[in-house]
Formats: sequence, structure tokens, C-alpha cells
Amino acid sequence: MFCKLAWKNVSRSLRDYGVYFLTLTFGVCLFYVFNSLESQWCMQMLSRSAHYMAESILVLMDVFSAFVSVVLAGLVLYANTFLMKRRKRELGTYLLLGMPTWRVSLLLVLETLLIGLLALAAGLLLGVLLSHGLGLLTISMFSAYPTEEAFGLILSVKAVGKTALYFGAIFLAVMALTGLTVSRSRLIDLIRGARKNEEMKERPLWTSVLTFLAGAALLGAAYAMLLVRGLLMIDSLFFLMLALGTAGTLLFFRSLSGFLLRLVKGRTGIYYRGLGMFVLRQFNSRIHTTYVSMTAICLLLLLAIGVTACCVGLNDTIESNTDAAAPYDFTIQNYSGDTEQVDIPSLLTANGFDTEEALRGAWLCPLYYNDPGLSAPGGEVPDVAVALSDYNALMALQGRPGLEEGELPQYREEPLASGPTGFTGYLVVPDRTAAELSVRRQLFAGNYAGDRQTAEERLQAAVASPGFSQTGSYRLGTRIQVYMENMGTKLMALFMGLYLGMVFLIAAAAVLALQQLSQAADDQSRYQTLSRLGAPEGMRDRAVFAQVSLAFFLPLALAVVHAAVGMTAANAVIAEVGRVDTAASSAITAAFILVVYGAYFLATFFGSRRIARGDG
Amino acid sequence: MGLILSVSHLEKVYGGRGSRTKALSDLSFQVEQGGFTGIMGASGSGKTTLLNCIATIDRPTSGSITVEGTEITRMKGKALSRFRRERLGFIFQDCDLLDTLTGLENIALALTIQGARPGEVERRARETAALLGLEGVLDKYPYQMSGGEQQRVAAARAIVGRPALVLADEPTGALDSRAAGQLLRQLSWLNREQGTTILMVTHDAFTASWCRRILFIQDGALFRELRREDREDRRTFFARILGVVGALGGDAADVL
Repeated sequence: MFCKLAWKNVSRSLRDYGVYFLTLTFGVCLFYVFNSLESQWCMQMLSRSAHYMAESILVLMDVFSAFVSVVLAGLVLYANTFLMKRRKRELGTYLLLGMPTWRVSLLLVLETLLIGLLALAAGLLLGVLLSHGLGLLTISMFSAYPTEEAFGLILSVKAVGKTALYFGAIFLAVMALTGLTVSRSRLIDLIRGARKNEEMKERPLWTSVLTFLAGAALLGAAYAMLLVRGLLMIDSLFFLMLALGTAGTLLFFRSLSGFLLRLVKGRTGIYYRGLGMFVLRQFNSRIHTTYVSMTAICLLLLLAIGVTACCVGLNDTIESNTDAAAPYDFTIQNYSGDTEQVDIPSLLTANGFDTEEALRGAWLCPLYYNDPGLSAPGGEVPDVAVALSDYNALMALQGRPGLEEGELPQYREEPLASGPTGFTGYLVVPDRTAAELSVRRQLFAGNYAGDRQTAEERLQAAVASPGFSQTGSYRLGTRIQVYMENMGTKLMALFMGLYLGMVFLIAAAAVLALQQLSQAADDQSRYQTLSRLGAPEGMRDRAVFAQVSLAFFLPLALAVVHAAVGMTAANAVIAEVGRVDTAASSAITAAFILVVYGAYFLATFFGSRRIARGDG
Repeated sequence: MGLILSVSHLEKVYGGRGSRTKALSDLSFQVEQGGFTGIMGASGSGKTTLLNCIATIDRPTSGSITVEGTEITRMKGKALSRFRRERLGFIFQDCDLLDTLTGLENIALALTIQGARPGEVERRARETAALLGLEGVLDKYPYQMSGGEQQRVAAARAIVGRPALVLADEPTGALDSRAAGQLLRQLSWLNREQGTTILMVTHDAFTASWCRRILFIQDGALFRELRREDREDRRTFFARILGVVGALGGDAADVL
């Protein structure tokens, strides 16, 4: 009987409080997706070539997960408080009927447990599917190195365990809180579910207009500062800009309803059509309590849009960076070349990597310590020198033009090796001058003849073999490695952006949704009156739709404007290091926002409609 | 004068097998255009059920109700709400004005729901308000009005759409006697001067004495009918009502 009651309450909760369930499910799903990255194909691929990159991504995700779990815990507790408020009467009835307090607490705890388990199951299911999608998305980003591997669905047991652990803790907190709330509440308060009536104050038109203009001016000033000064000058003016922007947003929302009301009132065509008057008045009567939360939601949305868009957008910089940092397929540097020079090609051949057969071009040469007496006409005195014939051969390997003897000595900056060398510029000197300099290290660069992936594996094996590695101090740098490292940076930015952006988005949408639902509950009697006056169901539903739309899309609209300005400023910064792929990033961001925000919007609309129809 | 409302052989049974409660049994009466009809009866006599059936909020078990010749018991969905908003006006005990709208807007709301032309909504609302002497409260919110003013705004809202029939359910129930008197005087005036047809349910003999005709209901059936004569004084009529109320037997104290 007791369990049946709990089960019935839960199934009703699922229907009535879709938002609560949605938040839990999204939270679990997100948490799983980003904690299961470790076992994803893309990360495994990454860790093969750039192990430390993969590791730092995973560590970063761990840190973020802690932060995210705190945010989600706050959201769940908030949602639960809302739920409890709605159910005051019901709980009061249980107590009135003589159910002991501890049993009511137990009932609620049982309900929380059931909902938690359901949300956990749904969230994990969604998470497994979504992490597969994310895996495919990231794999598709490794465009330069397509692989033949098949990607199946993966279930990360570790991530499931971690998700269950974190959310278990959150649910424990919720259960403790609900139990406490019930045991400390007084029956009379429960039965008289407090209904507060907001006082309707109509402010004169000119105050609305003035506030509106002031808000617009503040926003304009903040925008101007942002565009003129750019995004990265973080000083006191930067915080002034943030303050101006926030204050502007606040004033904008505060004056908006009054402004809108006055504006529309003049147009009888809208004001006196259907329930237009009712919707506007409802909106206006609420704004004095909701403008603060609308501002908060607008800023949260801005964060979500900005973070997601910028991180997804930091994109095509990678491909061009790879070519700059890795001009050949591989480079072996012999750091012990100053004491003992090695014939690297024959040593490689001896250790199982036939350089004649596996390479379609290679060059072995020494780099020299520069004589301080030698310098380029420009006055640069680098501490590395390279002989002209070696320089020309290396440039030929890269497919670049060489130099003439008459132009020497000359200071150059073209990269000589794949991977880090420790110097940026060097002096190109005639061969006979070089012969008098002392050798600093050896450089062996080449391009693979056949399939890159297999050639690279064989080369790595040869370099790692004791017969090779014990003859000197070598460093192997390859194009694939550099590419993977760049990919790693890109993935880190992408994951971070998606993770944080989604959490901000969920937070904003959930708070908004709960607020709308509690307002719908207050509006129930008003909708009953409308029904008695003969307003057909369709007309009432449209009024609910208009109310929920106003609440959801006004903050979104302003957030989009903010984000557009912010992105313009951010582009100026990113343009220095690369190019932001605005179209694609905007599309991806828009898609995510559409799905998550849209889901909350629909859940809120259906919930509010049910309440307005009087079934709630 | 035409017939506005015709109720014939109306029955309403609540509950299923085993526990059947007959709220209305074989009730028939008619209301002519321009009538001011009161329905009286003790609690549980079925008067609210009757009103709900006429208001299309409830459906009778059998029998028929026609308003202006249209059978309304078989109407459904859109036609039903269209009928309700265009042909009926309601005044409830709890006047249920919308607290976020001003007096004028509350009156106008009935018109906008009907789909009246937006351009003439405000003019018509103002004209109706003027009929009831409400010019002073048009820009006030309900919580700034007295109970009587609120109920008169509700009355204005009920008649602004020119309904065929105004249904009033204990309209004076929440008012003090002075405000009740003012409201009834105005309803009576609307009935006489504007030709508004009113059907009012009440258990209060004083309120009922403003009507021109009273139907007494007991146990779901018509018990008796009183008509106020053309020259009859309201006090005399009041006395006759009290007489019938006494004869209703049952629990007379409950009726008074």
C-alpha cells in the first residue's frame, strides 16, 4: 500500500513535473558522456600518438565534473523545493489523516529514490547514445588521418559507476532535505499553501521609457567598450564594462513589460484581440519579481552561447598549424651529435627500418654552433648555423625554394624539423664556413614512401629498439604526432565548451521552467475564469503558449544579441592566432540550444497547459 | 414576446449502479424574453444542478433545454463554447474578476473572447459600464474596488456581449445588504429598461423579491411558481415568497 502510494505519486510526478525529470536526466546524461571519454575511440586514438594530451583532457574533465556536479546538485535541490511547495496541501492531508511524520518523510524519500533511479536509467541510456554521437563527431574531425576502424557503441562501466556515485550523493542530499522539511513543517502551514498576491503597480509611462532608454544607453556603452577595447584587456575598465552590461540588461527587462504594455495598448488591434490583453497584463504583473531572474537567465544563456560557440569555433587553425610545425613526415634529432656523430639511416636500416625502401626522400645533416663573429647583414646573431647545401636539401624536402651562395650569410626562420627544436631562427652559411664550425646536433628528416600509419609504426619501433636508442640521445618528432597534439588541444577546447555550455544552458532553462510552472499554478484560477467566460480551450492554450514563449524567448533574444557582439570581439582576438569557423560553430551551437532549450520550453508549455486546464 | 429558454422533462442522475441520486426529476418550465426569473430552493434541492445544466457546464441525463430554439444539451466542443460565450452571460457569487486587469479591461475581456472587432471593444465596454454607473472604477484594479463595485463590474461583463440570457448564481451571496440592494436595483433596471433576460438562483427571499417570477424547487422537481403582479409592491411580494418558503417545509431555517 505504502509503496503503491509512492509509485503512484512518482508516475504523477513524471507527468506533471517533466521539468524535474528532464533536468535529472540531462544532468546524468551529460555527466556520463564527459566522464566516459576515456574509453572513447577518439581518445584512444589520441593517446596512442599524444599520450599526455589525452591525459590532460581527462584530468580537466574530472575537475569540471566536480564543478558541474555542484551546479547540478543546486539545480536538483531547487527543483525539489519547488516540487515540495506545490505539494504542501497533499502532504498536509497525509498528516491530517493521521499518518505519522516519519512515514510521510519515508514516503518522500521513497519517491525521490524511485525518480532518481528512473532518471539515472534514462540518463545513462541517453548518455551512451550521445557519447557515441560525440565519438563519431570527433572522429570525423580527424580528417587528415581517416581510419578504417569500426566504431561500435561503448559502455564505460567506470563512467557509469562514477555517475551513479555522484548522483547518489546528490539524491542523498535531496532525501535528507525533504525529510527535514517535512519533519519541521507545521500542519497549518501545509494546509494553507501560502498564496501571495502581488500588488499591481502601474508605473507611469515616462518612467518605463526613461528606464528603457537608460538600459539601452548602458548596453550601448558596454557594447562600444567591448568592440573598441577587445575582449582580452582585463583591467578595471573590463569589470566596469561587465557591470554596465549587467545593469543595462537589468533595466531593459525591468522596463520592457511596461514599455510593451504601453506600446501595445495604443494598438487596439492587438490589445483587444482574443486574450492579448490578458497575456500582456499577466506578463506585466510579474515583471517586478521576475526581471532579476530574467537577467540572470539571459547572462547564463550568454555564457552558454559564448562558451559553446567560441570553443567549437576555434577550429581550422589546427590544419595550418600542423604544416608549420611539421614540415616533413618525421625528424630524428641526435642531441649527442656534438660528441659522436652517427650514420642514422644505416643504423635505422640495421634495426629493421629500411630507409632506402620506406622513404621517398630523406636528408641527414649536422647543425652547427654559430660563431659569434658571423652574422647576417640584418644584424641577427642566432646561435645555430646550417650549411647551404644542407639547407637547400632540407628545403627541397619541404618543397620550398633554396638559397644562392651570393646571398649568404643569411638569417632564416623556416622550420627545419618536425616537432620542437628549441630555436626559432638560424644562420645559413656557405659550406666551407660550416666546415670550420663545431657540430651541435644531428638532424635526419624524411618523408614516408608508402602508407604513413604503418611506416610510422615501423619507424617508432626501430627508434625504440635498444640497438638504436642506446647509441645516442635521440628525439623523434613526426607529423602525425604534431597533428595529434594539435587535435588534442582542439578536442580539449571543444569538450570544455560543450560541457560547460550545456551545463549553463540546462541551469538557465531549468530555473526558467520551474519559475514558469509555479506561475502557471498561481494562474490556474484565472484560466478557470476565462473558461467560464467561454474562452475556448484553443484560445486559452494559445495564451499559455504566449506567456511561456515570452518568458523563454525574451532572455534568449537579448542573450543572442549580447553573444553576437561578444563573438565579434572574440573573433578579433582569435583572428590573431587563426580563423574562427563562424558558420559551422554557430550552426552547432544553435542546434544544441534548440534541442535543450526547446525540450525545456516544450516541457514547460505542456506542464503549464495541463495546470491551466485544471488537470494539475 | 419570444421564448428564450425552454426546459422540458429535465432529469439528472448522479452516481452509477447501487448509489443513484436524483438531482432533477422531470423538471419543465419556460422563460420568456425580458423575464427576470428567480429560482429558489433549499440546499440540495437541485437548483445549482439546474443552473449548471443551463449554463452547459453540466449535462442532463435526459430531457431537453433549448435556448432561442436551439437544443443545447447535444452541443459539443467548439459549438458549445461558442454558444456559451455568445448567448450566455454569467454572474457568480465569487465575482471572479481577473485581478491583473482593470475594471474596463475585465468588461472588455468578455468582448475580446467573443472575437468582437478590436476597434469597437473599448467603446462598447465603456457604454455598458456607464449603464451600471461604473465610470469611476474603470481604471481601478479589482483589489481597489469594494465588493459591490466588483460585483457590478461582473454584471457589466455579463451583459456587455448582449447575451440572450444572463445567468446569475447567488450574485448577492458575498455582499452586504446595501451593496446587494444596489446590485439588484441595477439588475432590475437592466431587465426593465434594456430588456435583459435574467435567470437568478438564490436562497435568499429578499434577493428573490426583486424578480418578477419565482420558481420554487424541491427535491429536483418544480414545487410552486409565483408571479409578481403588475402593480404589486415588492414588500407584499416578499411576504408571499416567505409564505411559500414556509410551505416548502423541509428545513425552513436553511432557506432563510
